[in-house]
Amino acid sequence: MTKRGLALVALCLTPLIALAQSASPAPQQRQLMVWGLGVSPDSKGQDAVIREFERRNPDINVRILSMGAGGMNPQKLLTSIVGNVAPDVINQDRFTIADFASRGAFRPLDDLIARDEKSDPLCPRKDQYYAAPWAEASYGGHLYGIPTGADNRILYYNKAIFREKAADLRAAGLDPDRPPRTWSEVLAYSKVLTEFNKDGTLKRAGFMPNFGNSWLYMYAFENNADFMSPDGRRCTLDTPESEEALKFMVQGYDLVGGYEQAKAFESGFLGKENDAFIIGKVAMKIDGDWTLADPLSRYAPGLDFGVGPPPVPDDRYYHRGRFKNEKDTFVTWMGGFSLAIPRGAHNVQDAWKFIKFATSTEGRLIEASNQMAWDRRRGRFYVPRQQGSKEANLELFKRFKPAEPKFAAAVKMHLEMAPYGRIRPATFVGQKLWNEHAKAMETACYHKASPHDALLAGQRAVQQDLDAFFGRAQYPVINLMAPLEVGAGVLVIALIVLLVLFLRAPLGRLAKNEAKWAYILVSPWVIGFLVFTLGPMLASLLFSFTQYDVLNEARWVGLHNFADMFGADRDNVMKALGNSVYLAAAGVPLGLATGLAIALLLNTAQRGMRFYRTFFYMPAIVPGVASAVLWTWVLTPDANKGLINSFWQQTLSPWLGVTPPAWLNSADWSKPALILMGLWGAGSGMILWLAGLKGVPSSMYEAASIDGANGNQQFWAVTFPTLTPIVFFNCVMGFIGALQEFDRMYIMKSSSDGTVGPDNSMLTPVYHLFTNGFAFFKMGYASAIAWLIFAIILAITFVQFKLSPRWVHNEVEQA
Amino acid sequence: MTFSDLVFIVGTLLSWVGWYLAFRAVVIATDMFIGRPSVGSKTMQQRLLWSACPAGLALAIGGVLPMKAGSSPGVAWRFPLFWTVMPYTAWLGLACAAMVIVRAVQAWLGLNGMERAARLKAAGFWALGAALCIVLYGQDPGSKITVLKGGISMSPTTVVSIVLLAAGAIVAMTLAGRATASRGLAKSVVTQAMLVAGSLVFGLPFAFLLVTSFKEDRDMSSPNGIVWVPRVQDTKPYFDPLNPTYQGTYKGTTVQGVVIAHQPNGDVRIDIAKPLAIRGVTFDTPLSALKVVPTDAPVVTASLKGMPIEGMVVKDLDDGRKQIQVLKPPALKGQTALFLPGDVQPVRHIGLKLDNYPEALSYLPPETDQGLVYLKNTLIIVVLSVIGTILSSSVVAYAFSRMKFPGRDALFMILLSTMMLPGAVTLMPQFLIFRQLGWIDTLYPLWVPAFFASAFNVFLLRQFFMQVPMELEDAAKIDGCSYLKTYWNIMMPQIQPALAVIAIWTFLGAWNNFMGPLIYINSPENMPLSYALQLFQGDRSGEPGLLMAFATLCMLPVLLLFFFAQKYFIEGVTLSGFGGR
Repeated sequence: MTKRGLALVALCLTPLIALAQSASPAPQQRQLMVWGLGVSPDSKGQDAVIREFERRNPDINVRILSMGAGGMNPQKLLTSIVGNVAPDVINQDRFTIADFASRGAFRPLDDLIARDEKSDPLCPRKDQYYAAPWAEASYGGHLYGIPTGADNRILYYNKAIFREKAADLRAAGLDPDRPPRTWSEVLAYSKVLTEFNKDGTLKRAGFMPNFGNSWLYMYAFENNADFMSPDGRRCTLDTPESEEALKFMVQGYDLVGGYEQAKAFESGFLGKENDAFIIGKVAMKIDGDWTLADPLSRYAPGLDFGVGPPPVPDDRYYHRGRFKNEKDTFVTWMGGFSLAIPRGAHNVQDAWKFIKFATSTEGRLIEASNQMAWDRRRGRFYVPRQQGSKEANLELFKRFKPAEPKFAAAVKMHLEMAPYGRIRPATFVGQKLWNEHAKAMETACYHKASPHDALLAGQRAVQQDLDAFFGRAQYPVINLMAPLEVGAGVLVIALIVLLVLFLRAPLGRLAKNEAKWAYILVSPWVIGFLVFTLGPMLASLLFSFTQYDVLNEARWVGLHNFADMFGADRDNVMKALGNSVYLAAAGVPLGLATGLAIALLLNTAQRGMRFYRTFFYMPAIVPGVASAVLWTWVLTPDANKGLINSFWQQTLSPWLGVTPPAWLNSADWSKPALILMGLWGAGSGMILWLAGLKGVPSSMYEAASIDGANGNQQFWAVTFPTLTPIVFFNCVMGFIGALQEFDRMYIMKSSSDGTVGPDNSMLTPVYHLFTNGFAFFKMGYASAIAWLIFAIILAITFVQFKLSPRWVHNEVEQA
Repeated sequence: MTFSDLVFIVGTLLSWVGWYLAFRAVVIATDMFIGRPSVGSKTMQQRLLWSACPAGLALAIGGVLPMKAGSSPGVAWRFPLFWTVMPYTAWLGLACAAMVIVRAVQAWLGLNGMERAARLKAAGFWALGAALCIVLYGQDPGSKITVLKGGISMSPTTVVSIVLLAAGAIVAMTLAGRATASRGLAKSVVTQAMLVAGSLVFGLPFAFLLVTSFKEDRDMSSPNGIVWVPRVQDTKPYFDPLNPTYQGTYKGTTVQGVVIAHQPNGDVRIDIAKPLAIRGVTFDTPLSALKVVPTDAPVVTASLKGMPIEGMVVKDLDDGRKQIQVLKPPALKGQTALFLPGDVQPVRHIGLKLDNYPEALSYLPPETDQGLVYLKNTLIIVVLSVIGTILSSSVVAYAFSRMKFPGRDALFMILLSTMMLPGAVTLMPQFLIFRQLGWIDTLYPLWVPAFFASAFNVFLLRQFFMQVPMELEDAAKIDGCSYLKTYWNIMMPQIQPALAVIAIWTFLGAWNNFMGPLIYINSPENMPLSYALQLFQGDRSGEPGLLMAFATLCMLPVLLLFFFAQKYFIEGVTLSGFGGR
């Protein structure tokens, strides 16, 4: 390292820093950043709306963030809002609007509507819209988003399968010429239409309650369940009505061989032309209108399908019992997106202009006509999508009704069901309620808990958030800046005192000079320690006693967060810790054993040792994300695609009759899958063992062989004891690592929201912290989890180091 | 367990014992005739007898006992297998019970009272463990024990491979038994064989990755096991006389597309088909600026008027039918006909679908310049992190190891105590700090902390600095070197290997950092590779070919570095002492 070296380093650094700082060229136009609009080669209608908007407003440049953020990823949106880099417009799943609005993450639009209502014909008016989507985008008397699409769900059924099974259906007393109308009917149809292979796996499913797009919400709405009390203060997830609906779903899954098998069956179809409904693997499904455009019109225009209203509880259909005075026979669930303006958007006026244009009937017609032109050119026919605006919806159907009768019938059915759409409650716990309802559904369908218990657990979790929100008034507001200022003051005073002490210290001139330089040299660490370690640690400790979401003022809640960890949120915390224990207890020893086995082999090999060492070590340095992506495919449950299950299907299945596990899609197998993946990276353990093996003095082996020890005895009496420090160290570190695992779980979990892996089987403490901290911005609770993790790590380290002298052989200490 | 299960298990065990004994008999016989037996021939004959006779008996009984199980009828001859599926608690209980028996027998055979007592005590502990496991087993209502029955069906390949394996084993064992000198050879043959097998297992996922990245979509799913040899569709250049494909330039990029409209001013409107990122964009251009280029028409076989033909698909009709222009036989050449998609078979040859790579990159957002921006961001993070870590950690370690100053030991204790602190504790406050600095959606949070020395690296480098002889530094001081100069010119060159190791760790850590970008980065132009890959996986989950191609590109630089700096990687593991998991 000479001066030249220094110059070289500096030379390398300059362009990089320049690169790092290079800003985008100064824009002549005002940029409008839009998130959450999916951009695909086929979204030409949407492109046309944007181009038309830009043509009319030449000073605005619309930029769509096409990758990553937006939509159903609340973490990215909240982080950007909190981080002051919020987009100008967000296309937001409507049911989460109340959630974000309650935290002040969105800007209310009432003032803008009031201003433009009279003057601007494009301005959205309440009477243009269906009541449900408009209500869903409102919270606390304010409107936060303008609805765009409003998809509702109806029953699709494959007429060809109905014909094929007509005789069987008739024998069961069912009419093969019409779709089922009630729950008991749909189950009866499903029973006839479901077929199994000889080995007991599914060949064709009649009806899978969660296939397509129909969740517990759907069935519970049909049963007149509500999920929140009218005042929005109490969660009523666990009502007899919801319980009945969930029981229906469980029955539906049991009919097709159980939830796990059904999910594995589902994951075997990739979609598009291999969509399970298109290729006749599923006879009936409840789905939204998007399925008409893609994949039905695109990949299976010839498929003989029919539609019907979603089947309802028998009592509802026959208007008896609780439903005696019910006027709507059929109801459906309505969802969809809205355009909203996040708080802190830099360009509110342009954003509002864009929203007005994009949601107007004119904008919707531009989108539809361009999309139709594009589809025509591709040889597909256009199917209009359902809109939140009644006006636009009717206009679209009038102008763009598909010529194909079955598609026209389907669109008409959606249109007719639109006024009967029910929405998920517009509550600030919307996302949580969704997650918990999905989790309850999964738990019950797995038969891990009764529907009642599953729903009750979810209700408790939601109620915890509700109580925290409504109970927060009782907690005093605290000023988080005050401790910061005090801390900074103490620090300054301490530094001054230390400086004075140093100047007055009885040191010689040389010693003083040395000390001065030493302080300068250690200053990077000292500054880093104060800013990035000590300060954050104290802040985190302070947070853990508060309720704080950055956007609103913090409130002092005392030990409430810690109580929650072992109270209301106990299940999740325990599950996360249990998963870590599982991963560490099974994974670390197996990893070490694999490494040791390879190392012992390598140690005896005279030839090719370097080559093999490289080979075995290579998986250990593959970037984590890449290896997670790769293993997601290696572990694919479908035996036609997944590497492991393909081999399994060829060998173990015929030999022993064991069907391959569903790995990441199964609650029981997801952790073994992760461990298996970990074993692939056991190469670094091998290197360690090799170094250890080389370190065993040969004199010890000589002595042992003189005493008559054979190879086996030599290993256990000489080799292994000298290597125990490695075992010990890796056990400690392995468990600490398992507590903090995150990347693999985030990338490999099969569900996009709700649980981390089936039945939360891949949840780790740090994952739980991440979700609470960055998806919900519960800084206080997340900090409490962080301190729990820290406490556990300290305890384990302490206990293990206390225990270690008992069984760890340490050459140096004994010598 | 039913009676027939029991019969099956007994039958299976007997057959396997029979096979083992028969195998042993063959080995002994080989040894007698070609080997150099270490014992007399009489003993050998006896041994042979004792192997062959029970083998025959066991095989006979095993063969007679009914052991039809499993599926696949028509396979008459099978190696029977059985396996018990139990929850792990039951397995543990069984293991404990076995240990109780072992210890009890040892106690019974014990030499003296003391040993007997010790063994009995151990047996007691194992019994306790067994009881605990059985209680745990009973706790789980869903647990049940099942016996799986089946067999290795004896297809010709299986028979051949088993025979070959047996022959190989016999040869190896005979060789091993010959002399002590050749014993080493046999052992190393076995070791090498095991190593090769291990490498195969470890290499399979890599092979899967690479092969998948070169496969066509139709090879992704196959009921006969993974397709290992990729095939690609044959194509022929084809000029469509009615609707030719033009090549032109749109905003500086070369594009291909077809004319969809003629404008009044003589321009034509082009609908872009390639590159994929801007597929479907239309633009107007004068016809003179365009060049007609051929399209790749897939070659297929079908049968026309009862005659097998080979042709190329010149058009895909709206209703799914394909228009095919005949290429072979010559008699029908040039004719066109319509076929249903099910009636044509693609002509494919063994080859790599290299297009997956450019295609994967062309799906990335346009502002990322085919993914180069991701690479640039990753490189910025990696290079600055490595430089920052090396400089800051070494300078701090130097001060701690070689300089005297009041409070040094106290500071060092603080430094050591922060090593156990999990990143989780400081995660959220750090986010707030970076937010205050306005650094969200920038790369700064990902590399700036590296310039503030991490405790572990300081600790490690301090150990290395301590080993540098004091005389070197003294000499420098006498020559009038300043502290900075001594640190940079004298000390740093002494610990280069340690620095290299730290550089490698930091490199890997920064390259693989996923949670950081996930929290801090929103815009594609600020994304590093790791986060981009995860997003790509979400976007293209249905196209493993593209996904694997992008994954390969993401790991390639790391693997390259590994091959050039293997020594330091391996040293790194040894230094950190951390290799489990």
